[in-house]
Amino acid sequence: MAAQQGDVDELFDVKNAYYIGSYQQCINEAQKQPRLFVFSFKPSSPEKETERDMFLYRAYIAQRKYAVVLDDIKANSPPELQAVKMFAEYLSSESKRDAIVADLDKKMAKSVDLNTDAALRTLHQGESLECMAMTIQVLLSLDRVDLARKELKKMQEQDEDATLTQLATAWVNIAVGGEKLQDAYYIFQEMSDKYSSTLLLLNGQAACYMAQNKWEEAEGVLQEALDKDSSHPETLINLIVLTQHLGKAPEVTNRYLSQLKDAHRAHPFLKDYLAKENEFDRLVLQYAPTATA
Amino acid sequence: MLTKFETKSARVKGLSFHPKRPWVLASLHNGVIQLWDYRMCTLIDKFDEHDGPVRGIDFHKQQPLFVSGGDDYKIKVWNYKLRRCLFTLLGHLDYIRTTFFHHEYPWILSASDDQTIRIWNWQSRTCVCVLTGHNHYVMCAQFHPSEDLVVSASLDQTVRVWDISGLRKKNLSPGAVETEVRGISGVDLFGASDAVVKHVLEGHDRGVNWAAFHPSMPLIVSGADDRQVKIWRMNESKAWELDTCRGHYNNVSCAVFHPRQELILSNSEDKSIRVWDMSKRTGVQTFRRDHDRFWVLGAHPNLNLFAAGHDSGMIVFKLERERPAYAVHGNMLYYVKDRFLRQLDFNSSKDTAVMQLRSGSKFPVFSMSYNPAENAVLLCTRATNLENSTYDLYSIPKESDSQNPDAPEGKRSSGLTAVWVARNRFAVLDRMHSLLIKNLKNEIVKKVQVPSCEEIFYAGTGSLLLRDADGVTLFDVQQKRSLATVKIAKVKYVVWSADTSHVALLAKHAIMICNRKLESLCNIHENIRVKSGAWDESGVFIYTTSNHIKYALTSGDHGIIRTLDLPIYVTRVRGNSVYCLDRECRPRVLTIDPTEYRFKLALVNRKYDEVGLIISSHLGSIVLHMVHEKTRFSLALECGNIEVALEAAKALDERSCWERLGEAALLQGHHQVVEMCYQRTKNFDKLTFLYLITGNLAKLRKMMKIAEIRKDMSGHYQAALYLGDVSERVRILKNCGQKSLAYLTAATHGLDEEAEALKETFDPEKETVPEVDPNAQLLQPPPPINPLDTNWPLLTVSKGFFEGAIAAKGKAGQMAADLDMDASGGEGWGDDAELQLDEDGFMDAQEALGDDGIGKEEGGGWEVEEDLDLPPELDMPAGAGGGAEDGFFVPPTKGMSPSQMWCNNSQLPVDHILAGSFETAMRLLHDQVGVVNFGPYKTLFMQTLSRGRTCYLGLPSLPCLRSHPQRNWKDCGAKQGLPAVGLRLSDLISRLQQCYQLTTAGRFEEAVERFRVILLSVPLLVVDNKQEIHSIRLEYIVGLTMETERKKLPKDTLEQQKRLCEMAAYFTHCNLQPVHMVLVLRTALNLFFKLRNFKTAAGFARRLLELGPKPDVAQQTRKILAACEKTLTDAHQLNYDPHNPFDLCAASFVPLYRGRPVEKCPLSGACYCPTYKGQICRVTQVTEIGKDVIGLRVSPLQFR
Repeated sequence: MAAQQGDVDELFDVKNAYYIGSYQQCINEAQKQPRLFVFSFKPSSPEKETERDMFLYRAYIAQRKYAVVLDDIKANSPPELQAVKMFAEYLSSESKRDAIVADLDKKMAKSVDLNTDAALRTLHQGESLECMAMTIQVLLSLDRVDLARKELKKMQEQDEDATLTQLATAWVNIAVGGEKLQDAYYIFQEMSDKYSSTLLLLNGQAACYMAQNKWEEAEGVLQEALDKDSSHPETLINLIVLTQHLGKAPEVTNRYLSQLKDAHRAHPFLKDYLAKENEFDRLVLQYAPTATA
Repeated sequence: MLTKFETKSARVKGLSFHPKRPWVLASLHNGVIQLWDYRMCTLIDKFDEHDGPVRGIDFHKQQPLFVSGGDDYKIKVWNYKLRRCLFTLLGHLDYIRTTFFHHEYPWILSASDDQTIRIWNWQSRTCVCVLTGHNHYVMCAQFHPSEDLVVSASLDQTVRVWDISGLRKKNLSPGAVETEVRGISGVDLFGASDAVVKHVLEGHDRGVNWAAFHPSMPLIVSGADDRQVKIWRMNESKAWELDTCRGHYNNVSCAVFHPRQELILSNSEDKSIRVWDMSKRTGVQTFRRDHDRFWVLGAHPNLNLFAAGHDSGMIVFKLERERPAYAVHGNMLYYVKDRFLRQLDFNSSKDTAVMQLRSGSKFPVFSMSYNPAENAVLLCTRATNLENSTYDLYSIPKESDSQNPDAPEGKRSSGLTAVWVARNRFAVLDRMHSLLIKNLKNEIVKKVQVPSCEEIFYAGTGSLLLRDADGVTLFDVQQKRSLATVKIAKVKYVVWSADTSHVALLAKHAIMICNRKLESLCNIHENIRVKSGAWDESGVFIYTTSNHIKYALTSGDHGIIRTLDLPIYVTRVRGNSVYCLDRECRPRVLTIDPTEYRFKLALVNRKYDEVGLIISSHLGSIVLHMVHEKTRFSLALECGNIEVALEAAKALDERSCWERLGEAALLQGHHQVVEMCYQRTKNFDKLTFLYLITGNLAKLRKMMKIAEIRKDMSGHYQAALYLGDVSERVRILKNCGQKSLAYLTAATHGLDEEAEALKETFDPEKETVPEVDPNAQLLQPPPPINPLDTNWPLLTVSKGFFEGAIAAKGKAGQMAADLDMDASGGEGWGDDAELQLDEDGFMDAQEALGDDGIGKEEGGGWEVEEDLDLPPELDMPAGAGGGAEDGFFVPPTKGMSPSQMWCNNSQLPVDHILAGSFETAMRLLHDQVGVVNFGPYKTLFMQTLSRGRTCYLGLPSLPCLRSHPQRNWKDCGAKQGLPAVGLRLSDLISRLQQCYQLTTAGRFEEAVERFRVILLSVPLLVVDNKQEIHSIRLEYIVGLTMETERKKLPKDTLEQQKRLCEMAAYFTHCNLQPVHMVLVLRTALNLFFKLRNFKTAAGFARRLLELGPKPDVAQQTRKILAACEKTLTDAHQLNYDPHNPFDLCAASFVPLYRGRPVEKCPLSGACYCPTYKGQICRVTQVTEIGKDVIGLRVSPLQFR
């Protein structure tokens, strides 16, 4: 069967759904029973099965259903799945994070959250598209668009049409800005046409629109995202930006902010926000009128 | 060459197209004349009166007539409406070869083997002229389409041109009738003088079979037995041979000019039709038949259609496809016309040529694929030999001059079809029928192995539809696998709905509608060719056949919307407009009546309210009859209308329908229908039970009989049990060999006789007689007291959905309550202060904020001094960071984020806040407008910061990426970015309006609060022109604060009252909106009047009147003014001099007359007594009074 299909990736649907942020679909695909179909979804080898499970559990993680992962992956599961489990542990409890990272350093695996250098160093060893995509993401968070473009080029050489490459192209295009923004928009648009529109894709489109100062268009896209999930943190953040640019009353903006504070206290945006508030309070003390009434 | 229609018959010797209707006449060698509809492909009529072959045939251009001439020497004129021959013209003495009507006069021209050509008047039914001169058979004679000429061809090897102007003159002269009458008698004598030979064309070596005029040029074409086609030219005096087309290798039967193109068509006994290029005299196309010699050609006068008659029938054909290549995207139609790509905006109907196509291909563009993302098109061109097909990739120029559009360089490659599969990818089906994926540079990116395939179609991003011999496959190009297949032969076109949820596959005579997964939803067969289609916005597929516009619902319901004279190609459907292209590539809009399909759609979608509306507004119950029987059945069941459903079920007579109906009827207790359903479906068990519970014993007994006949033992027994028929049961048991059971049954029920008889049959040695249970109870069904003959009573239906729909309609229109915004002033304005609210006149230029000093030195010290977010890792030396494992990898240092660049590129405070650099932002505000108390700025700062960055998700579960919207994103490049501000002057102004409303309503404190936020926002604006911000009025804050203050003051003593009056007077000197000023002046006027300071009061009154208040207010003011003017004195001395200009101290509310020292707030411009210098401004509450600053900076222009 494998020979017939040539280079067809039997896990395509599973991976694809995961990358575009369609997690439930990813889970559904991965859990499908084998069908009596030429393209049935019975992994052809144990390795493939492990790979499939990796995506399955990662999709659960993305849905923040850490418990499923922590319970499902047993001590005797393959090492790949152990890594996934560790990631779930890391995300599920803030208190244990340092310990996990320390543990990780010993075992040598990947983490991107805090230590970008270590992450890049680790990723540097990988050659899969996903490693490269992650590298690009780290580079972009470091504002190294130049290096990200180089890495993207490598990806494109490997497989230009892969979903990950396309997504990475869109990220880089957003960072580059200018005319590339429209390209990035089209990539997200194409993906949602082809598969289904997800929060990930919608927020990508919104970011493109907003970067082009097309606020009204962005509103439509974000509204759609909000309809899908009313407490999705990135959607809320984008709405905070958008409502102000649309000149809405400050109360509207504050509503989204409160919603965000309510549901996602640990989100980096809020951490930044609080830090900035403190900074403001500190800076205020530096100024005072020369006379008091 | 495209064959449109073919007939099989005896040899076809003559052909004529009807000029308007889709008809063609064929005269046959066996004496029959056939009238065909070539569009419907049907034989309309047959005319069989000639004896022997009919060679001449011609439709009249206007009248319902045609003329024929045969080997029986007869010319017959027929009326096809009356379907009979009107009369016969006799005179020729041999076979008649051709007969033609004159386009204008009532003449018929005939050519005969008797070597003459005759002209007949079909009104007087006489021969008016005989043209003699040929000395062999005349094979063909035709009128010139506009001049008084006749051309004839004869086996005497000549072609002759005759001048018949004499005949025309004779006919047109006043006494035409008499002359004609005389002429008849004198034809043989004087005929020659009416028509004279003008030219004799010699050049053919053998007999000439056909000659014809060019429709507009002085040219003649002839075909002869010397196998040549000759072109002749003539002028007034002579005619000469122009050229010869050689190629036929047998007698040329017929040759004609193409009515519109520079082409000649000829056919021959060599079994071929050839097309010649008139200017190059070379063969362009050849069409061969295997066995049939060609005899005659006919050209349609208006359409690009031809007919050719051969030994065993006729063909109707055209030389090339007339389907325009077009593509629709959104509101734009792109289509190819002549050598231009044109763009039509459906909304504005603006039609422009956007680009000129590269010339070079003699074939028209076959199909088009448009890519909106890149504004590029793929144009495919099919050659006669498919292997030579090519496609061109063009990117459409952004701007073009419609009169003289650019001709951009395209990229041409060979390939059958090219279709976009993604924004930057297209698929090409090459001549080896393999699939290539190419990029925008027309380079092959990959090759894809596909199942056998002869054509590809668009199928959304990343997918294609592949057509093979008997089906269509949905193929994912990226995954390289087939997703679905549907069987349908020879799909020609594919039309996707706007949301790509449905697709219509169009074949020659069939339409299949599928969903996205290519599951067939319905199949429609058409007798006539399917041409094109488009989806309307409600999901109905509107398509055209050669002669109809039709609709199809995805449920399969379809029907005709209207008829068409000529084929059109639908491009878009909106409401009742069908946008289309005709064969001349002209965009057209046709109107249709969508009622019928909307109605059906509403029925299918169960939108009964809509149905009701359609019915009430349009056609009434007639529509119900149009509905497809199945839809009607479902609908009736849905409504619970068993009778209608029964009718529909009878019409359909399907088992599944009867079953569904049975269930529904059972629920309603409509047992007669239930009975019928069970009978129809032969459901005997259920039927038996039905009879039992309805107590219909007679029928139950009948069922028992039926069961017995059917040898259904258990059914038989069951029925007997139901009936309580014990002896029958015994009999059944006995018959099926259950002897002991039979005995027991008989014995238990006391049928002793039978029990005995049974007992005897037992063999005492082998079998034991079973014991009868002494405690047995009688098992007997209760007899029905009252058999149920009628159905269960039903409640009368409460309310039909139509009534509901109409009732619902009435509710609209109650929303008309408007809020009366012209409310009178609130309490804050005191007892008699009221006003109308109408403010749009505040835009008058009054005063600019701050000073206009531009370009003071700011120094270079504003570079960012510290990187705020640098992670500690960066402090490490770069080289040392590399781990041991990957020795060479050096993690990159952090780059410069756009927000850092913003700080570098701008000195506007808001840019720094957006960048998150609060420290520098504060310093800027401090230096520019003297802010020293940043507390009130906190919310503004935080809000501003939060709109500086959007986010998007990278890989799942990783922290999101941030994007930085920039206001100059189009041309900033990597380094020159500036953030999108998100705070607009217009927003502030609209907020200002709210403040004015609050002011009007007297809610001063709230208004002051809001005014202040606006004021604080002013330094966070970015405007192109500083003049724009002049309209923010600060004096409201001073005035309103004072007014609030005044309200709090006691009014007990005279001094206190004087102070109140003073403050009211000062308020009148604030710069306010006229509406507010009226209120302020009235308050002051009243206070001063009460204080008996009539002189000042009179001043207020006059100012008030100048503002033009409402009539009642004006009247009252005039009264007060009159009262004041009686005693024009002030009773009390106040610190108020209206004639001496002053500023008001915002802290102490005392006048600061001109010339006295004053300190100002750097932001608001409010004035203060010098004692307040250094304190916080009362107006802004953030700035320091009298601080030395550089002034407000809100525009980048200020730094130039």
